[in-house]
Amino acid sequence: MKRKASARWQGTAKEGGGTLSTQSGVLNDTPYSFVARFGDAKGTNPEELVAAAHAGCFTMALSFMLNGAGFTADALDSEATLTMDQVNGNWTVTGVHLTTRGRVPGIDAAKFAEIASNAKANCPISRLLNATITLDAALVS
Amino acid sequence: MLRNADARWKGTALDGSGVLSVESGTLKDTPYSFKTRFGDVQGTNPEELLAAAHAACFTMALSFALVNRGCQPATIDTKAKLRMEQLSTHWTITSIHLETKARVPGLDAGAFARIAEETKANCPVSRVLNATVTVAAELLP
Repeated sequence: MKRKASARWQGTAKEGGGTLSTQSGVLNDTPYSFVARFGDAKGTNPEELVAAAHAGCFTMALSFMLNGAGFTADALDSEATLTMDQVNGNWTVTGVHLTTRGRVPGIDAAKFAEIASNAKANCPISRLLNATITLDAALVS
Repeated sequence: MLRNADARWKGTALDGSGVLSVESGTLKDTPYSFKTRFGDVQGTNPEELLAAAHAACFTMALSFALVNRGCQPATIDTKAKLRMEQLSTHWTITSIHLETKARVPGLDAGAFARIAEETKANCPVSRVLNATVTVAAELLP
């Protein structure tokens, strides 16, 4: 499978700006810039897109693994919080913390925690990232 | 720096669906599903978001690297092509190929290729990926 995206940048790094587009059109000349990334200006940035990819991947993997164990989630709500810090002067993505809350008929808390932990360890984006990945998983009624 | 994204999923993995949102609002309850990821249904998926993050990160980093060399990049266009394949039954992101084309007055092609290569190795998203990253750099007249 191949997936594509593109970035276009005009002008200098700090004062210029870029746009992003993806194959699906979900991003379509979507603006990003230095100030949207490191400051508070409106616009997307690479790190929130990595967080979205990870939240999306983990949650679909969790759904699959629950199905595999005979359960179907009424709802899975996940959040990915990515941390980027300066390490030896270089901005470095150091970790992603996943939080997930599941409404899953018939499962107990221990089984849900076990399956969520397996999804965290094995989803394709988790395996791709050189960063510490942590998880807080719980059932809600 | 912390960056957040959310995924919500309902139903089974194959027939259910999810929505993705990011802090900036660039994705806001944006639908994704098994079929937008592994099939041909229109919609986003984790892999194209990851490719967009990488194209964005590399392109901004390249702009910085060029400015640091005293250049004024006019435009930089980058495509990121992500490949995911099944390795011993696990879907695995194996590579991202970056294709960048830039107009940079006063720079020669050899220097541009070296700067693109260094940027590929050092941008934060490249450094967080356990995958083969390659770059093809072309200086436009």
